Amino acid sequence: MTEIKTNLIFEDCRRSCTDNEFLVLKDQSVLVTGGTGFVGKWIAEMISYVNETYDLNIKLYLLARDIQKFKDEVPHLTQKSFINLIAQDVRNIHDLPEDINYIVHAAGSPDNRDHVSQPLKTIETFYKGTHSILDAASRLQELKKIIHISSHQVYGRNDSESCIREDYLGKLEANSINHTYAESKRIAETLCSIYRSQLRLPILVIRPFAFIGPYQDLEKPWAINNFMRDAILGGPIRILGNVDTIRSYLYASDMAFWILKALVKGQVGESYNIGGSEAISLANLAKKIGNSINNSIDILSKSSKESYNYLSKLVPDTNKIITELGVKETHTLDASINRTILWNQLNRK
Amino acid sequence: MIKQILISDPTLRDGNHAVAHQLSAKQIAIYAEAANDAGVPIVEVGHGNGLGASSMQVGLSLEDDVTMLETARKYLSKSKLGIHVIPGFATIKRDLGRALDIGVDVVRIASHCTEADITQRHLGFVRERGKEAYGVLMMSHMASASVLVEEAQKMELYGAEGIIIMDSAGAYLPGDVAEKISALVNGLKVPVGFHAHNNLGLAIANSIVAVESGAKILDGTARGFGAGAGNAQLEVLVAVLERMNYITGIDLYKILDASDIAEKEIMPMIPVIKSESIISGLSGVFSGFAKHVARISKEYGVDQRDVYRELGKRKVVGGQEDIIIEVVMDLIKNRK
Repeated sequence: MTEIKTNLIFEDCRRSCTDNEFLVLKDQSVLVTGGTGFVGKWIAEMISYVNETYDLNIKLYLLARDIQKFKDEVPHLTQKSFINLIAQDVRNIHDLPEDINYIVHAAGSPDNRDHVSQPLKTIETFYKGTHSILDAASRLQELKKIIHISSHQVYGRNDSESCIREDYLGKLEANSINHTYAESKRIAETLCSIYRSQLRLPILVIRPFAFIGPYQDLEKPWAINNFMRDAILGGPIRILGNVDTIRSYLYASDMAFWILKALVKGQVGESYNIGGSEAISLANLAKKIGNSINNSIDILSKSSKESYNYLSKLVPDTNKIITELGVKETHTLDASINRTILWNQLNRK
Repeated sequence: MIKQILISDPTLRDGNHAVAHQLSAKQIAIYAEAANDAGVPIVEVGHGNGLGASSMQVGLSLEDDVTMLETARKYLSKSKLGIHVIPGFATIKRDLGRALDIGVDVVRIASHCTEADITQRHLGFVRERGKEAYGVLMMSHMASASVLVEEAQKMELYGAEGIIIMDSAGAYLPGDVAEKISALVNGLKVPVGFHAHNNLGLAIANSIVAVESGAKILDGTARGFGAGAGNAQLEVLVAVLERMNYITGIDLYKILDASDIAEKEIMPMIPVIKSESIISGLSGVFSGFAKHVARISKEYGVDQRDVYRELGKRKVVGGQEDIIIEVVMDLIKNRK
């Protein structure tokens, strides 16, 4: 990776790191499953930053099936001595390094193309993967905390206009292939509750909403990614479906910092939303992205219907995590978009 | 409210079925120029089974893909150049990448109606290149409305900007179209389209039912030039839509002229609903089989209608043309 890009990421981490209350992590070992994905890479970047800045000597294990891809994509991280790569399928874990103190269980793809194409594998990965990691964790003598990365999809359909709180109970249609991922994440959360209750494992749950930032593939089937991809290609930006759909986005380095804070201060048994608070319609998001590159980029809307009787609004209520963990958003949506576009443009060069 | 209908014209693709894929570069140039002049939004060009399909099994085309696409590209300034792509026939590197390099604007990635999974990589590739990508579910009469919605939703997630269902066998009655298009419009975010065949004389009627049920994309060909009994006749479709106050952006007089040119320059005969086409439609057999069934039935002296009935029972789909000979042999054996 070029120096400009590593500097950009270092600067992002510096801006997101709003306090240095990480002493409990000093000389500790952290395992991240799904460690070579978007979340894993950013946790590695953030730990790299806090290690260098605060001399914490955190040891990081990144567990994933394909570590070669990680080596190819982020050689600057691979070279760091505090990072240890473990090539293993999360569904088949038996023994973990004994010195592990903290686990972030982030394995499994959030890509909904995979969920509809391979629904059985999706359920198997989340169920067996979570079962396997918790089982192995129960044998660790020095374990202090586990964060299970769940999904906002466990909330089901949001029928209200409000932001979604952690105690919201939405509906899910069980007899539908479209909810494979959501149901998988629900059963994984239930497994966490069982291990916490029956084996007293110190588990808490994080429920991510939408993120944006470097390392996120613009080909992923999410509106903001595709808008940026279209804009970088010169347009037009194509909005598919309801232009009034509401979303919000948290910048990647903020996400990584918030997860580290959850390792330090998160309460066992609790669940926390993690996401951006700035709600925006897809129509306005497309305009914003278009303007950030070139004011003359066309925006096209393609929709099956002229009007919709249901407005999809997925915006988290983040009061709990902000209040209890002392985190804050350090990148505005405009800044998040600009930095992500810049990073992707550098990537294409 | 005035409603815009996007018309895609596969005269130079589906019509290639009607001439055993023997359209020449000169014929492609003549019709592409006329369609462009009429303001047809999308002109689809290629082998009847789409990009990369020229083969012994489904028929060798007179011109290769590059020649067909480069020729059409020269004459399409207002109209977009479209292609039909079935993964398996067309590979991403060899065929699709090259087609986009030639200047294809619109790519319609098609699969059998229950196999949308195979379109993911192709749809993704087209979107990555910044081109328009649509999903097409062929032989859609073979799946229920709910299955079609599930398959179409997959294509939507893979990046399709619209989903077109094909009545590849000309088997639909208007009620079937209403049921399936309505279900798709309700279940999808992206626009829905309909591609008709005329085996039962319902291509125009079914297309109108489709738009009245919420479809925003329709296919039609000059004089209905297409596989089997042909498609929805484009000039009629444009006229009827105009009468019903839909907007297509196509100049009626000029599309009438284009159809006259097509009849004179590219059609050995105008599609008619032959007796065997009716049986083909009733049996739900892919219209692209017509030439093969006619040839093999004649060669072995069997009744085409019996062949269609048997192919229908076996639920054959496009790409299984080699089963025709098997069916004919079985019919001969049973006769003895």
